[in-house]
Amino acid sequence: MTTGASAANDTFIVFSVAATAYALRSQQVQHMEMIDQVTRVPNAAPFVDGVVFSRGQVVPAVNLRVRFGFERAPYDVRTRLLVVQADARQVGLVVDAAREFVKIPVTAIQPPQEALAGLSGKYVEGIVSLNERLILVLNLEHLVNFSEPLVAA
Amino acid sequence: MATHKRKTANGSNGRARANGLDTTVIRATAEQLFSSASGIARITDAASEGASTQIRNLDDVLNEMNQMTASLAQTAKQAESASGSAETLVSSMNEMAASVEQVTANTASLAASTAETSAASQEMTASIRSVAATAEEMSTASQQVAASVTQMAAGTKSVSRDTETLISSINETAAAVEEMARSIDGVASNATDLAAAAEETSSSISEMAASIEEVGAITQNLATSVEETSSAIEETSRSVQSVAANGRSISDAAVNAASSAAQLDRSIQAVASMAKQADDVTRRVSRDAEEGGASVQRSMQGIGRLRESMVQSSSVMREMGKRTGEIISIVDTINLIAERTNLLSLNASIEAARAGDAGRGFAVVAEEIRNLADRAAKATADIASIIKGLQEVAHEAVSATNESVRIADESSTLAESGAGGLKKILTGLADITGVVSQIARATDEQQGAARTVVATVTATTDQARLVATATAEQASAIGNVVQATLQMRKGAQEVTKAIGEQGKASRDILKASQNATRLAAQVHKASTEQAKTASQIVKVTDSMRRGAAATNAAMAEHATAAEQINKATASLTRLIGNVTRSMTEQTAAATQVSTAVENMRKQSGQAAAALVEQSRAMKDLSGATQNVGKQVKLITNTNKDHATGAGRVLERLKDVRAIVDHNARSVRETRGATADLLKQVETLSGTLPNGANGLRHSNGSRDRA
Repeated sequence: MTTGASAANDTFIVFSVAATAYALRSQQVQHMEMIDQVTRVPNAAPFVDGVVFSRGQVVPAVNLRVRFGFERAPYDVRTRLLVVQADARQVGLVVDAAREFVKIPVTAIQPPQEALAGLSGKYVEGIVSLNERLILVLNLEHLVNFSEPLVAA
Repeated sequence: MATHKRKTANGSNGRARANGLDTTVIRATAEQLFSSASGIARITDAASEGASTQIRNLDDVLNEMNQMTASLAQTAKQAESASGSAETLVSSMNEMAASVEQVTANTASLAASTAETSAASQEMTASIRSVAATAEEMSTASQQVAASVTQMAAGTKSVSRDTETLISSINETAAAVEEMARSIDGVASNATDLAAAAEETSSSISEMAASIEEVGAITQNLATSVEETSSAIEETSRSVQSVAANGRSISDAAVNAASSAAQLDRSIQAVASMAKQADDVTRRVSRDAEEGGASVQRSMQGIGRLRESMVQSSSVMREMGKRTGEIISIVDTINLIAERTNLLSLNASIEAARAGDAGRGFAVVAEEIRNLADRAAKATADIASIIKGLQEVAHEAVSATNESVRIADESSTLAESGAGGLKKILTGLADITGVVSQIARATDEQQGAARTVVATVTATTDQARLVATATAEQASAIGNVVQATLQMRKGAQEVTKAIGEQGKASRDILKASQNATRLAAQVHKASTEQAKTASQIVKVTDSMRRGAAATNAAMAEHATAAEQINKATASLTRLIGNVTRSMTEQTAAATQVSTAVENMRKQSGQAAAALVEQSRAMKDLSGATQNVGKQVKLITNTNKDHATGAGRVLERLKDVRAIVDHNARSVRETRGATADLLKQVETLSGTLPNGANGLRHSNGSRDRA
């Protein structure tokens, strides 16, 4: 995966869903919010909790727990909405928590193994071992492409 | 009549001169007659003197008897008062027995009391035995008296024999006189005057003989009365002695009862001191129990306060829990603020990264802010966990406090039940105190009763002593009476002797008359008047014979009386034998009583129950007291017998007095008859030759003859 800013270090937002740490490039995240109110949308996809009014725009809220095949969990004080920009459209990702802004060297990101890539789809870009914990670096384009299923049926 | 006598005497003088010897002899006979009459007068005087002595003795006896009666009355009164005090004693004893049944202590002294009662009963037995011995001695003495009376009866019989001899000699004399009468029939005409004189003489003599007979009969009655009086007095004396013995035994029993009562008093005092100790102990225990009740009350109050403070602390704990909730909400707010700060710092970092190099410093600040927010979040998480622990502890404290309140409630209930138990103990102690007070009161009453008993027993002892003294006085009075009776008996004997002498004098008179009759028979040969006189003499002699027969009858009566005396003495002996037998039976009964009392003492020694022993001892004491009462009643009865006996003796003595008075009167009459006789003899002498000077100048006429 190649980006424009091929610096030695890239900054990432680290968040957690169902006790697993994930990371997205900070350039891909517009901003972050606490979720006050979600307006449910009729006939929406199961992983869409509803829409959220954020900074003057209506943003769909995608529940990554459901998107990743885990159980839905009630919102709490740590629950975050990550508003990302992908293909000129904004999408809100509902995660369990998002508290870290870290710098990770590009060389530290290892590509996922063939087996894992086959199982989890194309949205896992690589895996970083940071401070003895594993962080999955996500591919946003694949993540917000709702037409392709994330899990092989 | 006197002139007629003188005329006939002058007529006979001529014949007398013709037969000088005869007249001289007749004169001599007349002289003899005179001297005999004088002797009779003298004897009569002596008899009169004896009679007056008898009267004096009788007066003495009467005085003694009156004194004795008074003393008996006094004794009866004392005995009655002793009986009254004995009854008071019995009632006191009953009262005390009733109160003693309340006392349940001190058995040993009562056992000792029983033993003393046994000893007292044994002493009483010994006393009864000594009384029995006395009765036996009395029996021996009475047998001796009977022997004496028998001897006396024998003496009376010999006197009777003598009298019979007298009668036979009188009969002989009468026969001789009759013979003489037949011989002087011839001189009857000559002896008319003489016969007249002799008639008068005979009448005088017969009068005298009648008087003598009367005196003899009276004397016999007197002797009988004296004997009866003597025996009655002796009986009284014996009775008085037995009363004295009874009084002594009563005194002994009363002394024993007094010592028993004193011991009882001591025992009651010991019981009283014990009751007082029990009272003190009970009061002390009661005080302790009251203090315990107060401390229980205090602990109950403390438990109540503890419960209150626990309830307070529980509410404080609940309040603290509430505040902890508030703290948690505040911590949540802080946590939210920390999260928001973290979010802001992240957004700032994103913007700073987007700004490139220009936002580099801003990124550092954002990171610092994010670190602070993270630290704040961590601190709030710590606070939350601490407060969670605190909440748990507070919850535990609240439940523990509730448990403590429950335990305090239980403790309070337990303390209340303890207080109730203490109240029951206090009530029981109050009951005990009441009972002990009742015991103390009963013991006080007993002490009073015991004091009354002691006083009554002392009074009984005094009464018994008084009875003994009075009985001793009675005994001495009886002794005086016996002495007076002895003197009376002596006087009666003297009277009897005088009467015997009178009889002798009568015989002398008879002899003289016989002589006169014989002489008259000689005169009869010369004179038919003398024969007439002789026939008169015969008549006189007949009357004399009648008198002698009367004397004989009197002597027979005397003998019968002696036999009666004998019989009376025999019955007396039999009575004394009865008394001795009953005394022996009494002794046996007393021995049985002693054995029974000994057995009783053993049983009471074996019996454990002190109350029973005390009751029995009380009953024994009461029985002893009732015995005292019985003995006192016995004394009262005996005293009544004494009084009636004394009354009888008094009556008898009055009879004797009357008889003696009569006797004295008869003696005086005899004296008058003798004087008449003397006068007649003088007249008779005057009818004889030289009669003018007849008897008084007999010596001169003899010289002239």
